[in-house]
Amino acid sequence: MTGTMLSINQISKSYGPIRALNGVSFDVPQGSVFGVLGPNGSGKTTLLGILLDVLNADAGSYSWLGGAAPADARRQIGSLLETPNFYHYLSAMDNLNITAAIKQRGKDDRERVLKLVGLYERKDSKFQTYSLGMKQRLALAAALLGEPKILVLDEPTNGLDPAGIAEIRELIKTLNQQGMTVIMASHLLDEVEKVCTHVAILKKGDLLLSGKVDEVLRSEDQVEVNAEDQNRLKEIVEGMPLLKSIHSSSNGLLLSFTEKMATGRINEYCMQHGVTLSHLVLKKKSLESKFMELTNF
Amino acid sequence: MKNLLAIEWLKIKSYKTFWILAGFFALLLPLWNYGISNGVMKIGGGNINLISQAYSFAYVWQNIGFWTSIFVAFISILTIIITTNEYQFRTNRQNVIDGWTRLDFYHGKWQIVLLLSLLTTLYVFIVGVGFGLAYGSTSGFPGKIEYLFYIWVLSLNYYSFSLLLAILFKRSGITIGIFFLYCMIIEAIVSKFVNWRLDTKAGNFMPLQCSDELLPFPILDIIKAMAKMQDTINPNYYVGASFVWITLYYFIGRKKLMASDCKFAV
Repeated sequence: MTGTMLSINQISKSYGPIRALNGVSFDVPQGSVFGVLGPNGSGKTTLLGILLDVLNADAGSYSWLGGAAPADARRQIGSLLETPNFYHYLSAMDNLNITAAIKQRGKDDRERVLKLVGLYERKDSKFQTYSLGMKQRLALAAALLGEPKILVLDEPTNGLDPAGIAEIRELIKTLNQQGMTVIMASHLLDEVEKVCTHVAILKKGDLLLSGKVDEVLRSEDQVEVNAEDQNRLKEIVEGMPLLKSIHSSSNGLLLSFTEKMATGRINEYCMQHGVTLSHLVLKKKSLESKFMELTNF
Repeated sequence: MKNLLAIEWLKIKSYKTFWILAGFFALLLPLWNYGISNGVMKIGGGNINLISQAYSFAYVWQNIGFWTSIFVAFISILTIIITTNEYQFRTNRQNVIDGWTRLDFYHGKWQIVLLLSLLTTLYVFIVGVGFGLAYGSTSGFPGKIEYLFYIWVLSLNYYSFSLLLAILFKRSGITIGIFFLYCMIIEAIVSKFVNWRLDTKAGNFMPLQCSDELLPFPILDIIKAMAKMQDTINPNYYVGASFVWITLYYFIGRKKLMASDCKFAV
């Protein structure tokens, strides 16, 4: 990872009284699969719209490819935003002809990308005769036309069947291995965890955190403990080293630590301080609950 | 960017509606004029038909020019449809996402409008030469050729006005409705009212009216010539007014496009 493909600096955008983005900043390193993660309405699509100049930001700036002119940069970006947008009365080949002309590249590449997405047999049919799935595949073909440096995908697996989802994820990984940087918005934590190397988490327009997936979304263990004298237990565990937080739960106290902590050590610590544990359970905290925690508080 | 027009051409060259509307214009203009010249419509008594008189050179341009000013509606609708299509298909967004600036998108459409107005003028010229030769000798050629220039001004005014409406209203049905409502009813009433109320010719300078004034109903011209009436306003003022309006359309449309998010018709 040598360079920065995209740098976002303090972007804000409001729709009337609603703040869609609130001073969002992050960098996308070259060669990464960068997930923009957030629940519905968190500002993901607005952010991608601003980065591709179909929406105007109220404040802030961004630069693609280390400061290339935005339109020049967009010619080197393959994008798949929301619905497929094509001329209904033109065939796949004619539509891609326009895409290629605007991108100033890739006219000879049309047949390859249509084969890649499995639309080659229907290349001369008009767009209006396509099924929804075929329209999406044409949009993907257009995004891949001319082998762009960067791929921007908004909810790429939305509405696809399980086979289609697996296919897209595999394709993203393959393209990334070939050196393409991928930026994708998703509300599926599972998807980001499986596909992405980096992530930025948005909630109601605020950037909660961003970084490498294995650091940001590291699964965290919690230990649930209880004793007859719960107040005394709480007093002593509060003094434990490496403790991150204590929450009350129905079965006692939920402890989380900044590092992995063996249950035996907790038991030992409590014994040394004169408390006998009546309950000691290691709880794997699911990524979903971590995501909910990140986006709900 | 030089290839804007080439890309606009890719968009419309296999669009059936484009060819149908252009075909209507191309067919109806000579057919209608042929009918008029053969006395389908008659003004005057006995064997005299005033409006069929003017198909030889010198007068052919203003005669065909007047009818052109009506048939340009086909190309205006065409302009509206190819522009609102972009909003309906959301290809206005896609073009920008793929690497056009918003100005590229806008200038592509303006170049089409400019091209259509030039083609209209060229076509009227060809038709005019045909009628001129059929109804007279070449001796009068080119005659009052300045009317050909007025035809270009008028068609550019109508098409760019249509483009502006399409950008403001985004949906084809509404935009075409507003176009006809404006040019057939609103402007007619307001301009007459202003002229009557203020007792000036100010109403003649409304957006489309100023170009219409360049190509009046031919019989009026002939009657005025007979009655030795002089038009009080030099046509150059109408030409100037037309270009002021066209420039204004350009900047209003540009402001609208640059300031707002690339929205689309639902």
